[in-house]
Amino acid sequence: MKFLKVLGQYLGGIEFSAGYRWQHWIRAISIFALVATGFYIANPFIIHGTPSATPTRFLQADIREWHIIFGFALIGAVLYKTIYFFFFPEGKYERKSIVDAFNIKLALQQIGYYLLISKHPHTKGVYNPLQFWAYFTLYILFYGIIFTGLALYAEVYHQGLGGLLYPFAKWVESICGGLAYVRLWHHIFMWLIIIIVFVHIYMAVYNAVFGKNGGMDAIFSGMKWEKEEH
Amino acid sequence: MLDVKKVKQRIEELRKLPGIASKPLSEVLEENGFTRRDFLKWAGTMAVALGLPASFAPVIAEAAEVSDRLPVIWLHLAECTGCSESLLRTASPTIDTLIFNYINLEYHDTIMAAAGWQAEENYEEAVKKYKGRYILCVEGAAPTKDNGDFLTIGPEAETGLHKLKRAAKDAAAIIAVGACSSFGGIQAAYPNPTGAVGIYKVLDKMVVNVPGCPPSDRNIVGTIMYVILYGQLPAVDNFNRPKFAYGMRIHDLCERRGHFDAGEFVEEFGSQEAMNGFCLYKMGCKGPYTFNNCSRERFNQHTSWPVQAGHGCIGCSEPDFWDSMAPYEEPLANHKFESVSADATADKVGITILTIAGVAIAAHAAISAIKNPKE
Ligand code: SF4
Repeated sequence: MKFLKVLGQYLGGIEFSAGYRWQHWIRAISIFALVATGFYIANPFIIHGTPSATPTRFLQADIREWHIIFGFALIGAVLYKTIYFFFFPEGKYERKSIVDAFNIKLALQQIGYYLLISKHPHTKGVYNPLQFWAYFTLYILFYGIIFTGLALYAEVYHQGLGGLLYPFAKWVESICGGLAYVRLWHHIFMWLIIIIVFVHIYMAVYNAVFGKNGGMDAIFSGMKWEKEEH
Repeated sequence: MLDVKKVKQRIEELRKLPGIASKPLSEVLEENGFTRRDFLKWAGTMAVALGLPASFAPVIAEAAEVSDRLPVIWLHLAECTGCSESLLRTASPTIDTLIFNYINLEYHDTIMAAAGWQAEENYEEAVKKYKGRYILCVEGAAPTKDNGDFLTIGPEAETGLHKLKRAAKDAAAIIAVGACSSFGGIQAAYPNPTGAVGIYKVLDKMVVNVPGCPPSDRNIVGTIMYVILYGQLPAVDNFNRPKFAYGMRIHDLCERRGHFDAGEFVEEFGSQEAMNGFCLYKMGCKGPYTFNNCSRERFNQHTSWPVQAGHGCIGCSEPDFWDSMAPYEEPLANHKFESVSADATADKVGITILTIAGVAIAAHAAISAIKNPKE
């Protein structure tokens, strides 16, 4: 193609494994599906006005079922990512970010970068301090929404997995002060996740626009490119 | 737990004690138009309500007959007396309410004949005489602020808090009747000026909570019957509510549940949907968050209950329900968070933050586009 020419030298490598990319996108799609179905469950906005002739209509039940299916998909993805972070060999680049996370100078420099007054700092791990703490909060919220979600689940489905989780549900209810509060917290966690996801998407686009290293492509292809430093 | 022999033995022991009733229960029931057959039927349904096999029915009937042997002291703290009233003021008394009248209520502010100093004396005597043997039923919350001065009772102006602790010390079993004594009730609603709390918070003994505003006669009498039967408190859930009554949500056994799953909801009282008997979730029904057996046992001789009558459940048997279940005629999604601003729902706060973030992001992106970030 005419507009392509040699532009310096790039180092390339796999940043995100296939498993990593799958869990990211399963998580992403689940969040969107869960928010949509969740708003419906909170206040059903599509309803039937006339009674059905046969008792085979299950609008709310169907939407709730999808909420549960995506909920368990989200749980799977979050568990995978948690184990990845702590135990996978590839997770070591992520684990290195913990050291950076407590480096205040680095954090200030990162803020400076976003305020357009200082250069992008060099980090040891894959996440800069701001990113690390944002994701850290996100995972706290994930576990919050999963715990409250499983408690709500076990109160509806008393058999099988629900039966197994029942004592756990009671424990969550005691902590929250009743099932109504479990439901309220579940909803609040959703809003906090929405806000973090919103900022996350902006940051990803921002870095794609100004980083100019195909950074956003990595979550699709797995490949990371960096200009060789001289 | 299912040991009939043990229960029978206990009933025999109780039978030996002096009863207070002037005539046997069978006569009382007969006078009120209940046959022996009705009574046995009642015993059967009570057995089922308590989660016991039907074979327990005769034992329950016997236990009811000796229920005037076990002394009950009934305290009223900060409350409206609605729980007692709902049991006493029925147009057509049920067997439950008759048994409530039949039990040995040694002391009960509302229904005792004595007043003033005499009432006080009766109380002291009952506590002394039945030390370690009486069942203590408490109606109403205990105000704790300013040493409990918000509630004083009797000629000595004893605080409710003090009276409660004194009575609890020598009680064989303690039952909190109603939402107030269980969890504080409306007195404890935000901002709770008197520091009202459920009685379990100020006692160091096990308290069985029988919440509801009011609880059904079946749940009150059922719990008392259980204590008479077994001489111990029933199995309870995480909020100390008897499992036989509060083991399931209202929503689990609601007659409108089919409409809920179908997505058929009432959106306005008096509408065609309401006439169709659709689900009341959008009218604020809190059945999905509320543990109680109203949808199974109902009220007034199994006649009706709020959801059947066309109004959603307001969750009166849950802790903190005046605050946690508000608004009562809208779904919980419209719950107002007092501390943020008077009409802030989670959705409003969320959308506000999202808007602010959106504006900030747009500004940041615009500035970055003009003045590129440093490489
Ligand atoms: S009316 Fe209330 S308890 Fe009944 S199905 Fe609807 S939401 Fe559930």
